[in-house]
Amino acid sequence: MVNRRSVLFILVCLGLAAPYVASADDDTRVTRITHFEDASSDRNPAVTAVPQYPKLARRDRIEGEATVCYKIDKNGKIVNPSVRKSSHKMFAKPSLKAIKQSSYEAIRPDQEVSKVKTCRTFRFLLNPVAIEEIE
Amino acid sequence: MAAIQLLPRRPEVRIMSRHAALAIALIAAILLFPASRAQESKVVIGPRNPDLTEGAQELLAGNAVDGVQLTLRGLEVAQGKREKEAALSNLCAGFIMIDKLEPALMYCNMLLSSNDHHWRGYNNRALIYVMQKEYKKAEKDLLIGQELNPNARTLKVVKSMLLDATQPVESNIIIDDRRRKKVDAGLTEDK
Repeated sequence: MVNRRSVLFILVCLGLAAPYVASADDDTRVTRITHFEDASSDRNPAVTAVPQYPKLARRDRIEGEATVCYKIDKNGKIVNPSVRKSSHKMFAKPSLKAIKQSSYEAIRPDQEVSKVKTCRTFRFLLNPVAIEEIE
Repeated sequence: MAAIQLLPRRPEVRIMSRHAALAIALIAAILLFPASRAQESKVVIGPRNPDLTEGAQELLAGNAVDGVQLTLRGLEVAQGKREKEAALSNLCAGFIMIDKLEPALMYCNMLLSSNDHHWRGYNNRALIYVMQKEYKKAEKDLLIGQELNPNARTLKVVKSMLLDATQPVESNIIIDDRRRKKVDAGLTEDK
């Protein structure tokens, strides 16, 4: 079930949505990306980089999450990102890398830059796939 | 939510190179062990079984056919249990590299008949079983192998190959920008 208080719920598949870029190195087997946003954020994402599922985590069937916090300057550039928490250290690096490759829309001249840090959580999940055997 | 999509199958070439890489890693481990043993000894005359040593080096270099031939010659003159087991193990790995699974299985079985605590033997045989789609047998060998050496990387790789064949998964990345993160139980549930 999806939280009803979420104002915006976006579901995109990799390759279909222009503002989503894969923070890819070698494992391109990510098939689903889900993005939850709410009205509390005053900045609109311009480019949202998607972290790679760590190969070792995938191999050992490990799921988890990592939260990265950062400030956004007036041009929409992400400043001083740092990992606030990570369920497993192998999720921290790709999450931080994805944040560094992301950006937001610039603010208007009459707007002020928020002093509050923004945080983004990445959840890394593995869903079973049903395979139909072909004789 | 969108319908779950089937993962694209990896190209055959990539699968083969993975098998070859795994076999090379196993041979490297076998080679390194006697090297560390040799360092304990004060006097080193040279390899007692040059065919076996060169065979392993050929296998490591990716020359599986030459490596297997040399190792077969080395097996004929192998002295002692350890030397014979190294030869059998390398033959099993070498035949896997050249995709001849029947002889590979035969040498793995000979190895495990001689030493049922040889985790690399279980690893190699599990790999053969995965390639032959004998998944239950592969699982059984992996369990024994992991009991013998719980931290072996190659066993984890073979287990992953087994899981990819029997319980495939697709990765799902959720980006959550909500200030008040109400986690959906269905999405974060542990498997």
